[in-house]
Amino acid sequence: MSSEIKKDGNRLHITRVFQAPRPLVFSYWAQAEKLQQWSGCKDAHSCTVEMDFRVGGSFLQKMQIKNVGEFTIRGTYDEILAPERIAYHADLGGAITRVIIEFIEEGVSTRVVLTQEGLPDEFSCQMVSQGTSESFDKLDLTLTQQAASA
Amino acid sequence: MERLSRHGESQVTTLVKPFHISLPALSRHIRVLESARLVRRRRHGRLHLIQAQTAAVREAQKWIETYIAGWETSFDVLDQLLKKEQRKVQKQ
Repeated sequence: MSSEIKKDGNRLHITRVFQAPRPLVFSYWAQAEKLQQWSGCKDAHSCTVEMDFRVGGSFLQKMQIKNVGEFTIRGTYDEILAPERIAYHADLGGAITRVIIEFIEEGVSTRVVLTQEGLPDEFSCQMVSQGTSESFDKLDLTLTQQAASA
Repeated sequence: MERLSRHGESQVTTLVKPFHISLPALSRHIRVLESARLVRRRRHGRLHLIQAQTAAVREAQKWIETYIAGWETSFDVLDQLLKKEQRKVQKQ
């Protein structure tokens, strides 16, 4: 099943329905050992996640990306309301992005609504400002990884 | 960016007209776009002429598309993991 994607100014909304109960879906975002199973994109051959899953707690994701090397992402949890909502912000190369994930119960399924702020304008501008297409590609991969770590 | 792409090289004072923002606010926005290489500034005497760098804009759009695709790929993996776990639970 594919996701529903909407762009609203500098916000990105991605909605996906998973055929699983809400507590189970939530656990895949809340537990490091589960999160790192799906948080790597196809170019990452190693991904580890350390997380202090509480409001004000931080997370650290390290990954080895093909042709790029190790990349690290740090973020902080702003809101946690199990199993309904998670919000965090992360610093990506000087750009702050804020991500809100909502888990909505729909019978035996769960609708996940992810809202990302800081996209596309300001953030992509900073990506482009990195200059070469090589670094652009690197940041592209980084963001993909970061997105997956949410 | 849309106006610049449509009208070509434009003065800052012309660009500000349709927006409800001040000239200094627009100037700040243009500086961000300039540092991101999405626009180029050319000075002609006291006039500052702004031109869109369409290749950079296309690259930014491509980046956004790739970024969205990254979420899709990750969600596909998560979907499979959840299905696998559900099957395990049903067997027990």
